[in-house]
Amino acid sequence: MRRPCVFTIAALVATVSVAAAAPPEVAAPQKVAAAQDDENRIFFESRVRPVLVQHCHKCHSAKAKKLKAGLYLDSRKGVLTGGDTGPAIVPGDPAKSILIGAVVYNDPDSAMPPKKKLPDQVIKDLTEWVKIGAPWPDGAEPEVTEKKIPQTIDWKRARAGHWAFQSIRDPEPPAVKRSDWARNDIDRFVLARIEAAGLSPSPEAERRTLIRRAYFDLTGLPPTPKQVEAFVNDASSDAFAKVVDELLASPHYGERWGRHWLDVARYSDGFGGFNDKAALPGAWHYRDWVINAFNRDMPFNEFIRNQIAGDLIDDGNNAIGTGYLAVGPTYKSDGGDPDSKAQALAETIDDRVDTVTRGLLALTVACSRCHEHKFEPIPQADYYSLAGAFHNTAVVEKPAVPAEVVKAFNDGQQRVREAQKKLNDFNSRIRKAKRKPNNEEKQRIDQLKRVLDQVRKKAPPKYPTAHVCRDTGGSNMKIAIRGNPRSLGAEAPRRFLRVLAGANPPLWTKGSGRVSLADDLVDPKNPLTARVFVNRVWMWHFGQAIVRTPNNFGNFGQEPTHPDLLDWLASRFVESGWSIKQMHRTIMLSATWRQSSSMNRRAFGVDGNNNLVWRMNPRRLEVEAIRDGMLAVSGELDTKMSAEPSKNILGDKRRTVYGIISRSGDAFSSDAFMRLFDFPGARGVAGLRTQSIVPQQYLFLMNSQFVIDRARALAARLEREVETDEQRIVRAYGLLYGRGPTLDEKRVGRDYLSADEKEKPRLTRLQRYTQALMISNEFLFVR
Amino acid sequence: MNHASFSRRNMLRRMGAGMGTLGLASVMADTQLASAASPMAPVAPHFAPKAKHIIQLFQAGGPSHVDTFDYKPDLIKYAGQRPKEVQLKTLRNTKGNLMKSPYSFRQYGQCGKWVSEIFPYTAGHVDDICFFHSLYTDIPEHAGGILMMNLGHLQPIRPSMGAWLVYGLGTENQNLPGFVAMSPRSQPRGKLANWQNSFLPGVCAGSYVNLGSMKPETLMRDLKNSQLSLSAQREQAELMDKLNLMHLQRHQHDAKLEASIQSMELAFRMQMSVPEAFDLSKESKATRDLYGPGDYAKGCILARRLVERGVRMVQLSLSIDGYDIPWDTGHGNIVDGHRKLAVASDQAIAGLLKDLKQRGLLDETLVIWGGEFGRAPTSEGTKGRDHNHYGFTMWMAGGGVKGGYTHGATDNFGLRAVENRMHVHDFHATILHLMGINHEKLTYRHSGRDYRLTDVAGNVAKDVMA
Repeated sequence: MRRPCVFTIAALVATVSVAAAAPPEVAAPQKVAAAQDDENRIFFESRVRPVLVQHCHKCHSAKAKKLKAGLYLDSRKGVLTGGDTGPAIVPGDPAKSILIGAVVYNDPDSAMPPKKKLPDQVIKDLTEWVKIGAPWPDGAEPEVTEKKIPQTIDWKRARAGHWAFQSIRDPEPPAVKRSDWARNDIDRFVLARIEAAGLSPSPEAERRTLIRRAYFDLTGLPPTPKQVEAFVNDASSDAFAKVVDELLASPHYGERWGRHWLDVARYSDGFGGFNDKAALPGAWHYRDWVINAFNRDMPFNEFIRNQIAGDLIDDGNNAIGTGYLAVGPTYKSDGGDPDSKAQALAETIDDRVDTVTRGLLALTVACSRCHEHKFEPIPQADYYSLAGAFHNTAVVEKPAVPAEVVKAFNDGQQRVREAQKKLNDFNSRIRKAKRKPNNEEKQRIDQLKRVLDQVRKKAPPKYPTAHVCRDTGGSNMKIAIRGNPRSLGAEAPRRFLRVLAGANPPLWTKGSGRVSLADDLVDPKNPLTARVFVNRVWMWHFGQAIVRTPNNFGNFGQEPTHPDLLDWLASRFVESGWSIKQMHRTIMLSATWRQSSSMNRRAFGVDGNNNLVWRMNPRRLEVEAIRDGMLAVSGELDTKMSAEPSKNILGDKRRTVYGIISRSGDAFSSDAFMRLFDFPGARGVAGLRTQSIVPQQYLFLMNSQFVIDRARALAARLEREVETDEQRIVRAYGLLYGRGPTLDEKRVGRDYLSADEKEKPRLTRLQRYTQALMISNEFLFVR
Repeated sequence: MNHASFSRRNMLRRMGAGMGTLGLASVMADTQLASAASPMAPVAPHFAPKAKHIIQLFQAGGPSHVDTFDYKPDLIKYAGQRPKEVQLKTLRNTKGNLMKSPYSFRQYGQCGKWVSEIFPYTAGHVDDICFFHSLYTDIPEHAGGILMMNLGHLQPIRPSMGAWLVYGLGTENQNLPGFVAMSPRSQPRGKLANWQNSFLPGVCAGSYVNLGSMKPETLMRDLKNSQLSLSAQREQAELMDKLNLMHLQRHQHDAKLEASIQSMELAFRMQMSVPEAFDLSKESKATRDLYGPGDYAKGCILARRLVERGVRMVQLSLSIDGYDIPWDTGHGNIVDGHRKLAVASDQAIAGLLKDLKQRGLLDETLVIWGGEFGRAPTSEGTKGRDHNHYGFTMWMAGGGVKGGYTHGATDNFGLRAVENRMHVHDFHATILHLMGINHEKLTYRHSGRDYRLTDVAGNVAKDVMA
């Protein structure tokens, strides 16, 4: 629960010096009012204002360093207008006045001043003041500074004021000096900036490096020595383009790039720990749906529409896509406390808003849950406009099999019920007669039991189900004041963000509004969706995005390093019918992507962060690629696709993407392994994965059963395939690194393999050698 | 705080003796490249800290403050009545009357603090303890309450305080985790969520050790190689150094490759340093007698050994009978359950305070005791008490807080915090302050904004600083 008030250190408690008001003189009637005013003034100035100044103004005045609860207590207007929870007082009615409730410490959460209750006499005075109508002498209104009053937003200006809110342009590629270096237009955008900085791009990486990079990039697996040699020896001009096409056609491509998307979709199989601990046993259908969508090159706009509203469009054929929303956390309260329940629901809806807005729009709309956004033109109302769509959506189970299978199951169950009923009816007839069954009846009962057993055995097993969305209504949400779901304000009509759709976006009137949301997200006029996605694609290809904050394109995010290139890519993307595979081709066939990762001291001195992309970024492999790569080189990888998740991926030989993932990150033994190598937490949209380097990783690499088993398998493979130490060394280098060993490397290998054994370790020299090769930097990094 | 870049020489200094075991340090070229060094490296705090380490004695389940450290004579006077002031809604909506504590209280120490009979050992240290009687929290449920105390948030979506400390200050021993969580057999409700790093770097997360087994392998996975002796492993590590070095020479000036090599060497050393820290046989009989018997005593000794070795924060949860919220036995019956828990921990806690003091560690180690909320002064059934999040007690000792001092108060019955009210955020802000951190400046940029342990709140209780 957001705290309704934020307390600060109140002024030191001291007794308020009270100057006794002089008794009013008897006066003529017309003077009574004036005298009364005077008396009120004295009462206010002596007994009320000092209290407000001393105990309240630190947080509730124009002079407050940080205004709390939006409440000003330094003017009558401020007091009457009130703050986030409404007027502070109702003149004449202390019982209805929040301020009085606060000072009598009715509710500990809003007790004021927070530090210590005021003396009884002071409370009496404040109560009296409200009772007599809260008189406040004129002329004492303080200036309220402009910036503290929330401004209404000029939407046109807001949109014009920040690059990401402006429409996508289709800029001309700039002229460059070294046009011979450029292979396509990407290169002109990149080269122009490199040249402007007085630098040169890096030469193309040598072929062995290039093909290893391409394989890991598109499939997450290393090339086999045969594949490397074929490419190295292919003299045709489109040799590399052929490799890219082959890889894009491989089913392993979807496993690799589907997993990238699952980072954005904060995918898990449930198990979020307490308050969110439910398993999501059908989540993997969504995982498979994503993998297939990438393999089929489903246009990205369709891909998004299906994930937001797949149950409502196209006859629900892609309803499983709504797993995007449905496999998110669903928070519960564990004790039934109403505040806690309301908060849990609000947290669940917040997940949906946050996942959609940061994932697809790179906007931090969730910041507006409790207040107007501090940095972006996103009012609190807009948060609840979007949240309304999810508030009207439930998660339900949908068969993940064809209708015939469902029917066969239902028919089977029907037959079981019928047989059961026959048996029950027969039994109850005898029971009603209050007697024991005779022999004939006993035989009949046995027969009925046999029939029941048979139909039970014959009944098809329960089919698997996927978690999908369903509409439950079409109502609007109310704004939760300060994010407190129990303190509701104005209704927020369901509609798109005004900063993207203008001052009066069309209302979402159909059902929950998810179809409209989906359409608004992929509307070509929406300046963000295409930009945000091509930025991610670039990031996954280069290890660095064009907008370094891929989940935040707002005012607080970073500016693009190459704004024109970003827009050019977004334009090509939309133009190609939102084809992701086409985007890969465009990027990978550029000279920019094909650059070597070698160090260039001069360029590094000018641009150490490689903002200009003067080289390829060397990268450590992701956890999936490390594990899958080891299994691939040891010859053990099981390439089976689409199945229930493996409960312990370290004991399995399938690809890592098929391992179970708990949202808590600690439900399964393999979770710890995944996290150790920077697998992102499944509680929110992940951006660029971190690449931490910590000793615990080496404990895994040196000591874990998984790595030791792979080393054994690789050693066995070498022994199986070739005879001598020398041949085994060469073969190992080919399998692991796609190259042959140098003379020095050969010598080091031979020396190690032939050294005397002082003791009898449980791993042979060859096994220890293959492990060392497998966990050394050359295998763990792509260049 | 800035972890982004520093020189390689600086990095080596920070990593202490991490390099050189295998003789590689000297052959690596000196570079000025931005380093991918460990986020665990020590970092200077915002200002001079009072404390360097924390041992948090976490009491999940809601220990009853009015039966332990917050003495309320009015409960005796008004027992059996239900005055208007105590008619606040509790979790289970109990309607019982005021119930006097089943335990007797007496005064201890120079400060004359009243303490319940169930904590006689701890009571002997009241002059070192600073009591906070005016805590309050948001909801009266264990799940949210425990998370609030550990993460400053009701849902398991933020980093733990220990993770924030490791992120903000690093840790002094690179061969041990910076944040260790321990409990006898059962983890407190919420399990690893209580020590999670959330969006902070993975090394900030608490490493958990089960005091029931005391196997360091459970603290750190894959700490031991099941196949190779250390000497065979050393030979293999030297091979890897050679291979990596040849690779590094081809790709010069790559900080990540260097960091990776250092990590490998550190991992090799950890295989020895971690079991050493956990070896209680190194402790004298006198020390073990001081802490008394039982798992919690083992945990307290271990906590001291860990902070002695530079671990930033240790959280030691109390648990008996495998119960994840042990103090919650207070619902049905205060008298037995609370006594049992006190007996299981009292001598160990006192032993820890005394031992830290003897070794000169108490000044730099902040010891914190308390749970997620307290219990109501009114009865649930005839002998129990329901949850109370309106007011409860925590205490601290050492680490720069005033001993024999009391901050804040509940009302005469112990239901509501009324004086110097202190939300959990305020408590966290105070802890961070003692560690030399301005809680408003310890931030991490995530999903578009800066996050803090104290969210948008938190006031430091300056009066408790020694």
